[in-house]
Amino acid sequence: MINFSTEQRIIELGDIKIGGQPGELPTVLFGTAFFGKKYHQPDVAALEEVRGFIRAQEDLSKMTGNPSIVDIYLGDEETMARRLEIVMEALPSKRMFSVDVPESSIRQQVLRHASEIGISNRIILNSFNLAAEQAEMEVLKDHPPGCAILLGYNPRDFSVDGRMEMLESGAGYLEKGLMEFSKEFGIDKILLDAGATPFDHSAAETLRAIPVMKNKWGLPVGCAIHNTVESWLWMKQYRKEHKPEYLTCDVGSNALPVMLGADFCVYGPIRNAPSVYPFVAMVDKFMAEGAEDYFGVSQDENHPRRKLG
Amino acid sequence: MYPWRGEFTLGNQDSQVAIDTLSSRLDFPPEKVAIWGQHKTENLGIEKIVANIVSNPNIRYLILCGDEVRGHRSGNSLISLHANGIDDNGRIIGAKGAVPYIENITPESIARFREQVEIIDMIGNSSLSDIIAKTDKLATVKKPPIGKPIIMEFVEREKTSRMKSLSGKISIHKDLLLDPYLDVGKMDQGADT
Repeated sequence: MINFSTEQRIIELGDIKIGGQPGELPTVLFGTAFFGKKYHQPDVAALEEVRGFIRAQEDLSKMTGNPSIVDIYLGDEETMARRLEIVMEALPSKRMFSVDVPESSIRQQVLRHASEIGISNRIILNSFNLAAEQAEMEVLKDHPPGCAILLGYNPRDFSVDGRMEMLESGAGYLEKGLMEFSKEFGIDKILLDAGATPFDHSAAETLRAIPVMKNKWGLPVGCAIHNTVESWLWMKQYRKEHKPEYLTCDVGSNALPVMLGADFCVYGPIRNAPSVYPFVAMVDKFMAEGAEDYFGVSQDENHPRRKLG
Repeated sequence: MYPWRGEFTLGNQDSQVAIDTLSSRLDFPPEKVAIWGQHKTENLGIEKIVANIVSNPNIRYLILCGDEVRGHRSGNSLISLHANGIDDNGRIIGAKGAVPYIENITPESIARFREQVEIIDMIGNSSLSDIIAKTDKLATVKKPPIGKPIIMEFVEREKTSRMKSLSGKISIHKDLLLDPYLDVGKMDQGADT
């Protein structure tokens, strides 16, 4: 459907590939595990449920061809090691996984722990953002993850330019841009997150930033656009009585970034995988056909276009 | 009053008490509470709460209750804003939330918020009877309204660039034009974007 005149990098993340021209590779889908109260001090059933979600995502990935990444929510130090273990036991040995760690101090602990047990190269940091404190910068320098998602969230300026400024210059919050910091830390696998914002807070600029970032840097770009749907004020009331309709909007929102060239979607709770994978595979089929007929971009046998005839 | 939209319910506008239920859904007797609702984020959500509270000088107590918002740590961030304010970069001092930055409300309103309300920290408690009992107790500790309402209009940010379609090309951004009629063969020679 669209094609960039700038070279688009393809990055290998363990056993999967991400990036390239729109329609070239299937969209990589990140499903978040362990987000929710019941996982704080989980019983056996809750842990088995998570294992089941990871297996289901993996099976759906094999079926559709859309590579899967488990995004592990890590909210405290106590549960960190066990959650990492559970996910690693459930995944192929080369598969990378992302760690969603909102608190800077916990992020530092996760990076140190990953280094200590020798898994830094499997970690995708979700995300490296403006809230990184000096201590975190030091830890990143000493224990860099294999890959980092750089978050283009700029509280002062939600425009495309503002989001890019965060990556390029630090937007006045940091002494330099997140991209330059990443290079200094030796993180050479970089994904860009356009930084989803709510409606009435330049939500559309999230989408607009995707092709602009890809065009400028040629790196894989994506976002967690479902968060815009999740924060939609009207929907918060409506969804109380209309759960399936909410899920339609939540899952359907992933079409928007992919149509604009996104390489990955952070789609929310991993339990939604059964709805998300066929849906994004369908969007990928449209994008793939549109990439080949106009631009000569072909796909291999693992693409949903080929697998899901 | 209450100029910023949000997920809240209005009660008695003369009440001294507002309640932030964080990630929990709770409802209160409307005659006892001025405004209550959930609160998701440590940045935009806090801005809405501050904007709405300073618009009603009758509110002198803000109860934080319900379950803390995972990841965002919105309750912790609001308490930090009240205790410490923000630094020169807009960051809430001492907040543990993921991205605790305040950018859309005035320093005057933050100062007023800190002066106007006493924070009652009941984070982790979702017991309706406990919270209502606390509300009843606060109602007996009368404080006069604080000054005049501060009304902040929500202003959509000025856009850095506005573009229209040009000569059959589709403009996505000032740095990116799509040309649906472009000869693909020309792309190797470096097409204009």
